[in-house]
Amino acid sequence: MKTPKPLGRSKRVGSTLPKRDVNEIFTRRAALLSLAGAGVMGAIGVRMFQLQATDWVSRQYTEAADENRFDTRIIAPPRGVIYDRFGTVLAQTSKDYQVAIIQEHAEDVAGVIRKVAEILGMDEEWARRAAIHVRERPRYEPAQLKAGLTWEEFNAVNVRLPELRGIVAESADVRAYPYDIVFAHPIGYVQKPSQRDIDAALRDPEQGEARAVYLRNPDVRVGKAGLEASLEDKLHGEAGWRKVIVNAFGREMGEDEHERRDPVRGSGAVLTLDADLQRIAMENFGEESGACIVMDIYTGDILVMASAPGFDPNHFVNGISQAEFATLNNDEKKPLFNKAVTGAYAPGSTFKLTVGLAAREAGVEADWHVGCPGYFSYGGRDFHCWKKGGHGSIDMHRAIQQSCDVYFYNAALRAGPERIAAVARQLGFGTAFDVTVPNIEDGVVPDPAWMQRVRHQPWTGGLTLNYGIGQGDLQVTPLQLVTMVARLGNGGRAVTPRLVREAPGFGQPPAQPPVISGISQEYLDAVRQGMFAVCNEGGGTATRAGSLINLKRRPDGVIVEAAEAPAGSTPVQIAGKTGTAQVRVITAAERARGVIGNAQLPWKLRDNALFVCFGPWDNPRYACAVVHEHGGHVSTVVDAPLIAAAVMRETFKRDPSRRQAASLAQLEARFQGETA
Amino acid sequence: MSIAVQAPRTIAEKVARLNWGVITLLCALAFIGVLMHFSVSSGVWDEMPLTHGMRFAALLLIMIIAAVFLDTRFWQTIAYPLYLVSFLALVAVEVIGQTRMGATRWLSLGPISLQPSELMKVAVVLAIARYYQQIDPRKTGTLLWSLPPLAMIALPAALVMKQPDLGTAMLIAITGLALMFLGGLAWRIIAVGAAGAVGGALMMYKHLHGYQKARVDTFLGLQDDPLGAGYHVLQSKIAVGSAGLFGRGWMHGSQAQLDFLPEKHTDFIFTMIVEEFGLVGGLFVLVLYGALMALALRIALRSRASRFGRLAAAGVAAMLASYVFINTAMVIGLAPVVGIPLPMISFGGTAMTTLMAGFAIVLSVDLHPSQQGARGLLL
Repeated sequence: MKTPKPLGRSKRVGSTLPKRDVNEIFTRRAALLSLAGAGVMGAIGVRMFQLQATDWVSRQYTEAADENRFDTRIIAPPRGVIYDRFGTVLAQTSKDYQVAIIQEHAEDVAGVIRKVAEILGMDEEWARRAAIHVRERPRYEPAQLKAGLTWEEFNAVNVRLPELRGIVAESADVRAYPYDIVFAHPIGYVQKPSQRDIDAALRDPEQGEARAVYLRNPDVRVGKAGLEASLEDKLHGEAGWRKVIVNAFGREMGEDEHERRDPVRGSGAVLTLDADLQRIAMENFGEESGACIVMDIYTGDILVMASAPGFDPNHFVNGISQAEFATLNNDEKKPLFNKAVTGAYAPGSTFKLTVGLAAREAGVEADWHVGCPGYFSYGGRDFHCWKKGGHGSIDMHRAIQQSCDVYFYNAALRAGPERIAAVARQLGFGTAFDVTVPNIEDGVVPDPAWMQRVRHQPWTGGLTLNYGIGQGDLQVTPLQLVTMVARLGNGGRAVTPRLVREAPGFGQPPAQPPVISGISQEYLDAVRQGMFAVCNEGGGTATRAGSLINLKRRPDGVIVEAAEAPAGSTPVQIAGKTGTAQVRVITAAERARGVIGNAQLPWKLRDNALFVCFGPWDNPRYACAVVHEHGGHVSTVVDAPLIAAAVMRETFKRDPSRRQAASLAQLEARFQGETA
Repeated sequence: MSIAVQAPRTIAEKVARLNWGVITLLCALAFIGVLMHFSVSSGVWDEMPLTHGMRFAALLLIMIIAAVFLDTRFWQTIAYPLYLVSFLALVAVEVIGQTRMGATRWLSLGPISLQPSELMKVAVVLAIARYYQQIDPRKTGTLLWSLPPLAMIALPAALVMKQPDLGTAMLIAITGLALMFLGGLAWRIIAVGAAGAVGGALMMYKHLHGYQKARVDTFLGLQDDPLGAGYHVLQSKIAVGSAGLFGRGWMHGSQAQLDFLPEKHTDFIFTMIVEEFGLVGGLFVLVLYGALMALALRIALRSRASRFGRLAAAGVAAMLASYVFINTAMVIGLAPVVGIPLPMISFGGTAMTTLMAGFAIVLSVDLHPSQQGARGLLL
């Protein structure tokens, strides 16, 4: 032991403890602690090296860091434009003016929203709700306050932006339907994908998770009705993406420009429709319910596909309110329903044309007369003619012209249900013609086999009588009616309707549709003469409609107003057939009291009014079918024949089949080299 | 080997004889802090780097003045009173303290809010140094005479743990025990104590607060919780692992710059250093700390005249080591996340003030080597 240093002075006399050199202990232990410290530091160094070596081998930390900071943001592609046959835009992606708020930039969120409300003329309640709504959104992202601003409103907000801290006025791509209600049914609308769409994508092994992620993107819209839905694959285009750098809160901090893929614009589509004619058809329905189709009888081009009442598809694009949707959905006039292809109706007397053809084929002579006392007794029951006093002795020409029921009861018995059904099918009934839109109804063309199969009942003669006047189980759509009358108008050619003129995957129709085998031109002509008489000969059921056309063909073939026509011009006329279809059974007791007129019945119980026609008579080109739901032919302003005449008159004047249609390639040329 | 050093007389002489190596290292570390806070502020000269630099400059000045004007005897004199005041303040925190962010650590004295636990870090070093200065060297090895310093460590550590502040409690305990070890604690007591500590740790674990328990669980791998307590360490490991040898470059660490790294300006600043300057940068900073510890320890070893001074200087070195090792080990997943900042570099005045006070003592001991204080019970 060393001699104690001055520190050792503290030892006390009498202590029995061994002496300790605390300085030596300190030195030794300081060395030990230093060693331990160096060990810990070494361990920390080794651990850092180990983490980096792990990453060098597996890249796991580099990948995790990249996964953290990079995020792929989808760029929704511009949707393809939908044009009418002459290139008029019916649906396009256009700029929507919106005002939004970035909360973290706003000093007083509620206050600045109130100022915006004042500028836009919204009330306090709106401002209060908006303030609550935006609070649920991230503070650093723009939260939309109002979309669909007019240019004036947008400007009003823009000029006051300096005093509106946190408010941004911006434009966004939105699907727009410039004709709003006019094309609601054939074109339909787009909406945000529903949870059902996302679930369906997840279940589909070919689409899977990636598709579901895409559908969840707030900018993505998919077709939900009409052509927007059925042409979805063609219109949608290909999504692009941006690789962005995000921070821990998902906020975009930058973009990797090299990793960007631009979206590809969806293909456009040219329809067969004529925007002006479609608008006129919709206007002619007023507040009424029904459908109108106009078709080129050779090409099958549908020029008008109107279903009334309409609705505004623009309201669906950014999410329709529950209340508005409920109103549309519960309306008894079914505005959301495309009656032109989905509505199935009893054709009533318009079916007599088919029955007439079938009867002639069954051997009914051209001069066959039937006596009509106003009723027909069959199987112990009286079957009534619409004309109480009867038509007297009547042949097919007059029977079509005046729509004599008794004649067609007899004709139906002569033809038999099988032959009627066969001719009906030849003319297009019972077929769901694929005009691309969704939910095309095929209707019902009954015959004894059908009765056995579906109803498990034998066919009876009474059913044949009802068949003769287009009642009973027979169900047809306006699309089938127009096809039927087109096939009569074009001389028995099996024209099929189409709605899309040009889009990827759509070919051209044959120049001349094939002649339907087994329909005699002589019989066809007899029926057509009857139809001409309906509109143009005294006593016809639609002479008023016939006279409304009031056009003439100049010697050079051009159709002009009758008043402006030069000498030598010939009248332009239509040939048609009216129809009235009961939607209820009239009981014997009711008939005894006297049938209540349609005008006195509740709307839902009134008869459907129908009219089919083709023209011009001298050189047929267009066919038209109109169903006026529960019209009952009671109005002198809105009635099926009058709507048809008004629309046909405009069709003849415009004569769209003679004008050059637009070409998709030319229309789309303006998008060449476009970058979204 | 002991060289009689002539004590400096004038102030100028004293300033010249200051340990400029220590001051240089402190300045280097604080400068790294400024660099990192500039990066935290995304390359803008805003409040943060400026505050850090100015705070350091002010504390440096105070430290130098304290080192020059206050000698070892002063520190020895205030050792027990300071400990007593700190202890009473800790008790006061327990009774009337303010609660911020779930922890009751602050005492409000008018405009100043004080963390008595910080005061205690310095006080416990001084008090234990004072204790071993005072007792007969032969008693340093006995169990009986080892109980008072043990109590001096255990009582404040327990109070701090209750706040709850596991990190500071650990720091007080480690620093104090290191000092006892240097003071001459007998090996057999150490052996028994170590055994007891393992048992005690298991007991203590049961009484940890929920979030402390979660952190310890995550650290021990008992709980997989990448978005909860484990998220901090996971993101930190990603940053360190992906940094590479030389890092992603100053102000280009994606984990830090994009806020994936939590608490990057305080507890996780070491991760940010490694992410932006790589393994090399991280090791360089560790070497700076190592050099600072070595200098403080060298001062202790050379201060043979005052047992109090040498123990106090060694205690400050131990405290610095505790800070650095706990912090760096925690950000790379070697220790549970306990919320200990990296001295001189992390943003915030508390730890910096405590460490600078510690180094004022170290420099003072270095400057006044032959001062021998009173050896009575209190003075």
